[in-house]
Amino acid sequence: MKCDDCFNLLEEYIDGEAIERDAAQVSAHLITCAACAHEFETLTAEREVYARYDRELAVSPALWNAIAARTADSRPIDSASRFSLGAWLAGLFATPRYAFAGAAAVVIFAVLFGIVFLRTKTREQLPPELTANKTTTGAPGNDRAGVVRPNRGDSLPPIGVKAVPRVKTSATTGSRPPRQRDQSGVLFTDAAFTDIEDKDTANHVAQAENLLRSVRNLQTSDDDEEVDVSYEKAESRRLLDDNVVLRRDAEMAGKYPVKKLLGELEPFLIDIANLPDKTTPTDLRAIKDRVQKTEIVAALRSY
Amino acid sequence: MKRLAEISLKGQPGAFAGSLMNSSADLVARACEGDQEAFRLIFERYSRPLISFVYDQVGNRELAEELTQETFVRAYRGLHTLRAETKLSTWLFGIAKNVARESLRARQRTNQQVDLDDKLVLNLSDRGPVPVKQLLNKELNEVIQNSLALLDEDKRLVFTLKVFQQCSYEEIAEITGFSIPKLKTDLHRARTEMRRRVGQYVRV
Repeated sequence: MKCDDCFNLLEEYIDGEAIERDAAQVSAHLITCAACAHEFETLTAEREVYARYDRELAVSPALWNAIAARTADSRPIDSASRFSLGAWLAGLFATPRYAFAGAAAVVIFAVLFGIVFLRTKTREQLPPELTANKTTTGAPGNDRAGVVRPNRGDSLPPIGVKAVPRVKTSATTGSRPPRQRDQSGVLFTDAAFTDIEDKDTANHVAQAENLLRSVRNLQTSDDDEEVDVSYEKAESRRLLDDNVVLRRDAEMAGKYPVKKLLGELEPFLIDIANLPDKTTPTDLRAIKDRVQKTEIVAALRSY
Repeated sequence: MKRLAEISLKGQPGAFAGSLMNSSADLVARACEGDQEAFRLIFERYSRPLISFVYDQVGNRELAEELTQETFVRAYRGLHTLRAETKLSTWLFGIAKNVARESLRARQRTNQQVDLDDKLVLNLSDRGPVPVKQLLNKELNEVIQNSLALLDEDKRLVFTLKVFQQCSYEEIAEITGFSIPKLKTDLHRARTEMRRRVGQYVRV
């Protein structure tokens, strides 16, 4: 087992949460590695200190008396007397409720009317040349009814006209257009959110890459002179917060390669964030070596 | 889903005999029937960890007592909702967490600072000589309490549940609603922050 792996598992190990195989490997590693054993001892000593924490709190009889007074005249609320969705639905369908049916019909009618009105209105606003494009350039794969794309060009594409943004972008830049500043009134789809997330992740990865490059290029002297890493440390802390959020988002969106990449990046950010403002060349060199060995910068660059 | 309140041992031979009589499931079942004594036993069993936990969140003794009272009253009223597969302690900590959070939010809304107890402020001049060990313990308590207050809410919650209440990751996830990876990250960061402040008292 490598020291990094051991270090990552040490807290789980001391909390008794590591799986059996990991625990056995950590135990074996601790016997042979002085640095990890020292970290383990520090964690153990901390636990002992926290165990000595005495809040000097006493549970006064008055506390129970107050609770007893508030609960004495009532029994716990029976679940049967609580609102039950199942019972409510059963009751709803047990007997005809004309008022409910009428209300539902009105709502459905209003929604349908709104959709028809919106579609008619947007068609009227569409310039004639784009209306012509609609019938000729619509890509079959893109033809999802009702999909509203975020506004990437100069004007808001109308609902139902799927091919228009593609025509406009290819005609103007030929590449991915920048996100427009004023997007008020645009209905975002999941695809639009994903696009923004991708962009945020790309920015984040680029910043992390710069940070790791900066750390890798820090000069260390041989006479053990301390190195000022306060900027890198602050930057790493900021990126660490973003990294956790983006990694979780990527996981939830099923983007496992992104999640893996951000997961690999995180230990570096944690290590840099936990450096003292003026660190020793040894600690810095350990991080630099790991950056070099794992080729994390190359991985980030290829994202 | 089976609720604890539905598990009644009445009518079973030896149902109320020995230690089984005071198992959490039985105490809940009896308390649901309106047995105040059973609920008092639940209070005796869990009041100390709960008041400590609430105190760690809000940092004020009187408020912790009030909130613990509120926790037990809510627990009593909601006993029927306790599911058979849920541990009573986990459920109670979950209620206490909500009560403490509501209190902290209310204080934030009214722009009040959460006052740390002034009890721990060292003012020993009028108390005569104090043994060094006692002095160190007091100082350590103060440092730990202040360090906890400086953690953000999520980290403090996870840290106190793991380090002081010895809850498992699964229990903490159930109490807080956090995912295991998030709580591991929060716990690691909380430990790192606490180490920065408490580290000088740690002897390896």
